[in-house]
Parts: sequence; structure tokens; C-alpha cells
Amino acid sequence: MASLITCPHCGQRPKEEFTIKGDAGLARPAPDAGADVWYDYVYLRDNPKGLHKEYWHHSSGCRRWLIVERDTVTHKVHSVSDAALAKLGGAA
Amino acid sequence: MPDLPTLRPALAGEPALDSTTIALQALPEGHLLQIMGATERAVVEAAIAAAGLEGSDVREAGYRQWYVVGDKQLSSKTLRELTSALPAGTFLSDQSHGRVRIRLSGPHATKLLSTGTAVDLHDAAFPEGRSAITLFGHLSVHLTRKSAAGFELIVLRSFAEALYEELHAHAA
Ligand SMILES: [Zn+2]
Repeated sequence: MASLITCPHCGQRPKEEFTIKGDAGLARPAPDAGADVWYDYVYLRDNPKGLHKEYWHHSSGCRRWLIVERDTVTHKVHSVSDAALAKLGGAA
Repeated sequence: MPDLPTLRPALAGEPALDSTTIALQALPEGHLLQIMGATERAVVEAAIAAAGLEGSDVREAGYRQWYVVGDKQLSSKTLRELTSALPAGTFLSDQSHGRVRIRLSGPHATKLLSTGTAVDLHDAAFPEGRSAITLFGHLSVHLTRKSAAGFELIVLRSFAEALYEELHAHAA
């Protein structure tokens, strides 16, 4: 587990300040996609080896949702970006 | 209304500490306003000046969020003036009743704070006027460096006693 995360708003902080939601690559299915697809989306997760993108909430800091790209083997953090701003195509 | 609770400062009765190495004191429960919106600090400062609040301090409190703090309690008229001085899409939330300010200062203040928070408090990384939202132990705090050896902490009212007593125990 990465122990230091560099928040784009707050700078380098320990992982204790964050809450991890999980996989940032999931696409929400259509409402009528069927029970199997929804079951998969809600409950089934991959356990990737290597690069992985996750949603992290800086819950004891700026309270922004971030996307953390990290390596599950080396624990290296490759990038941290603001999830909402990234969605809007902005910087930071 | 006999059952109406009377407002009492959250840290009334907590002893202040004042030694040559460290000083700890609860600050007056004046005003603490949270400003949020797609604007910038200079615009917030202009708005508080327009509302006659030149003595208030503006502090960064996260992305596009600021706290406006001061020792004076504000009238609802002043709050309305400030609200209307803010640009459209910028909002004010009066948190005066919900958050408490604590002052910690002295040559040992940095060392004491670094026992509870992971924020780098070196002068170069955390200069005067800089603020950070972080944890002190398990408590969420907003921390500001006011001077070389002086800090202010803002904490949710219901956690104020716990934080104050922890700081007091560490400092004494
Ligand atoms: Zn942050």
C-alpha cells in the first residue's frame, strides 16, 4: 500500500488522511442492463497486479475526490489527480 | 422559553497555559464563515472589505474554499451585506457556532504539533499565513501559521475539548 499520497491541493500527506473507494475504471451499466451485469458492477472486483487506478477521498484534508494511479507490486504512486476536474478536462 | 439552551463558549473553564516555551489559549468565539465558490482569494478579500470586515482574516480551506475568521460576533445585517458582496455562484455558510479556534504558540509549538500531524511545518514548507486541513491524532483540524512560532487551530465544536485537553497534556 502506498503510504504517502501527494494531493494536488494539499501536497504530500499520509494515507491515514484518505478514504479509499476503489477501482476508478468501472463504468456504470445502463439501468436495464440486466441482473448479471449489475451484480458484476456492484460486487465483483478484479485484483490487478501492477498499475491500478482508484478513487481516493481526501476525507481529512481538502475533502476532494482524487484519482490515484499506483502500482500494486512496487507500491509506487504514478499520478494523483482531482477526479472532478479531470472529468471536466481541467488541470489540477 | 425556560428550556432554551444558553450559549456558552465550548472551552469555558479550560485552563490557559503560558510558559516560556509554550502557550495555549482558547480564542473568542467571534465569527467563522465558510466561503465556497468558483472564485479567488482576492475576490473574497474585496467582499469582506466591502462588508466592513477589514479586521477579519481570510484563510485557505481547501480547493475554492475559505474561512473568514475574527474575534467579533457579527450581526445578521453584516452577514447579509457580505453575502450580497460575494459574486454570483459563491456561497457563504456561517459556521461561527460550529467551529472553535485555539491558539498555540511558543518555541516548542512546532514540535508539539508535529507529534500529531504529518504536515511539514518547517518555515520553508509552511510559512506564515499558510493553512492546511489535516489530522491531529484522529481529529480533523484546520491549521494556520500566524507567525514564526504562533499557530491557530480550528476544530469542530464538539471535538474542541478533546483537542484542547490533548494539546494541554502534551504541552504541560
Ligand atoms: Zn487534499
